[in-house]
Amino acid sequence: MSSRDKVLATLRANRPDPAAHPLPPVAVFGDMDKGRERFENALQLLGGQILLRQEGDTLATAIARRFPDAHVICSAVPDFEGSIRIEDVESPQQAAATDVLVVRAPFGIAETGSIFLSEAQLNSLNSAAHLTQHIVVILSEHNVTANMHTAYLERPEFHTANYGVLMTGPSATADIQGVLIRGAQGVRSLSIWWE
Amino acid sequence: MSKVKPVNHAKAAEAFLEDAPHLTFHDERLWDMRQKRDQQMHLLPEWQDLRTRASEIKEHTLANLPEYLEQFEANAKKNGIHVHWAADAAEHNRIVGEILEKHNAKSLIKSKSMVTEECDMRAYLEPRGVTVTETDLGERIQQLDDQMPSHIVVPAVHKLVPDVAKIFAKNYHTDPDEKSPQALAESQRMAARPVILSADAGMTGGNFLVAETGTFVVCTNEGNADLSSTVPNLHIATLGIERIVPRMADLGVFVRLLSRSALGSPITQYTTHFRGPQKGGEMHIVLVDNGRSARLGMEEFWTSLKCIRCGACMNTCPVYRRSGGLSYGAVYSGPIGAIIDPTFNERKYSTLPFASTMNGSCTNVCPVKINIHEQLYKWRRVLAEHHELPFVKREIMHMAGRLMGQPTLYRTAINGTEVALSTLPRFVLYNWLNPWGKHRELPHPVKQTFHSWYKENRLKKGKAQ
Repeated sequence: MSSRDKVLATLRANRPDPAAHPLPPVAVFGDMDKGRERFENALQLLGGQILLRQEGDTLATAIARRFPDAHVICSAVPDFEGSIRIEDVESPQQAAATDVLVVRAPFGIAETGSIFLSEAQLNSLNSAAHLTQHIVVILSEHNVTANMHTAYLERPEFHTANYGVLMTGPSATADIQGVLIRGAQGVRSLSIWWE
Repeated sequence: MSKVKPVNHAKAAEAFLEDAPHLTFHDERLWDMRQKRDQQMHLLPEWQDLRTRASEIKEHTLANLPEYLEQFEANAKKNGIHVHWAADAAEHNRIVGEILEKHNAKSLIKSKSMVTEECDMRAYLEPRGVTVTETDLGERIQQLDDQMPSHIVVPAVHKLVPDVAKIFAKNYHTDPDEKSPQALAESQRMAARPVILSADAGMTGGNFLVAETGTFVVCTNEGNADLSSTVPNLHIATLGIERIVPRMADLGVFVRLLSRSALGSPITQYTTHFRGPQKGGEMHIVLVDNGRSARLGMEEFWTSLKCIRCGACMNTCPVYRRSGGLSYGAVYSGPIGAIIDPTFNERKYSTLPFASTMNGSCTNVCPVKINIHEQLYKWRRVLAEHHELPFVKREIMHMAGRLMGQPTLYRTAINGTEVALSTLPRFVLYNWLNPWGKHRELPHPVKQTFHSWYKENRLKKGKAQ
């Protein structure tokens, strides 16, 4: 008998009565506000930022002002130049030299300020989102869903993407004496550019 | 196995209590996490509904575990994931070892996984020529210090900045007197990056399995799990079989509860859904039993399998906060550890269910409504029945039982105690037979017991009327 069959047989013999534990309906609780303000407040609570748009700004000028020392600006969107296109980045080792990665998220979640990325946004180089020092995420307010329940119910990406990450602010740690540090091992900063 | 010595939790805790700076920080840091959890709870009017629903989903899933695991396996395979089953720790380690060997992988980077701790995987792989590098900061600190994680969410929470500075100085050649946590975290980032970029394989744990889609979900904060899983082309994930939920939409309930209960943040910085290998990559998942299927058959303890490993019960527990995770001598510490460790080894962990004041706070904060303090009590009964109580505890309970069963004897003893407490010298009252008296003063003797007062005032008057 394989371990698989052994484990399943033991589970069948030992489990509590399934009839006593019916499957509850899918939960949809909580605040249904999907407004920009709720998203921004939640994002900032987790250390994310809004890339500010000054008069006459384009994404390029806003990025230049926010990251004046950036050399390698990698673009994963068709409507922004950058210094290199993600299609030309061939390996994680090459992606590790990126200062700023610009991507477009298919959706965000107002409750938590999270944005979603998958291989579809990263030209299948998933590590690029984590090896870059900073990430700028283009997001449309029409693509913000209210909360975690509505996100899982409404968004098809959870059923289609092989790799799907909800990123909420930059990487962080509080593992040394409880001190919160933003910019742990992944991105040092995450900024939202509203379109 | 019957010869194994029980963990001396009380003695280990005593050592922890001696060190005031560490003790104070540990106690306050964990209590702060508990308070942040409370703040998040108060922001959500639906909090109790979420807990109830989470508990119902988990109980339903556990009652239908074989079917959901089969569904998960079928869907994961369809998406190109290799699915393995490990009956115990040894098989888990062998499976991982074989996958690595097949790929000639000598360098493994991994994110935090309690299951790999449970299986003591590093100790198995390293003699076989695999260098295992923990990439989570806290877990890395523990690895370099050759200690088990002391907390399931914050593994190095019992350490202070100077401790980390010393460990990093030895291994990363940084300043042994470094005082800045930021600088220390940065040195971890700089040390980890080249190891990550040159690793042959990556490994993660996981928080949830989704039967409906064959997805597994990893919730982390540092970004190291996403680096470990996306940089190398080989990704191995290891999860306990109880981690499953039926539907993708059920994740909403659990993701909303997990980080709020753990750290008091609305969500972890990264919530990653793996449904299949990345382009050019290979993905394996090991489903680990290691005692879980047997636990499912324990009528009074099976609901401990609902646990989502948030650590809220640890943060709130006064005993855990003042004794430290390492004093439990087990991979899982705190209240949840005390009710699941005895299922791994009843004798070795026989002392742990006694490491509780029975205040019930663990049960109150548990996001999936495990009746932890009731299970602690039930374990005490089981251990007493199985003769796993230590000598002093057993004899005292035995004497107390006799005493309380006979009113005349009890009253004589109580009167005697009053005399004893007020007249006996300290060394008679405070010694190894009275562990309660360590760090505590015995109560002041009362002038009169309730019984003798009642006899004098009410009983006599009653008769007179």
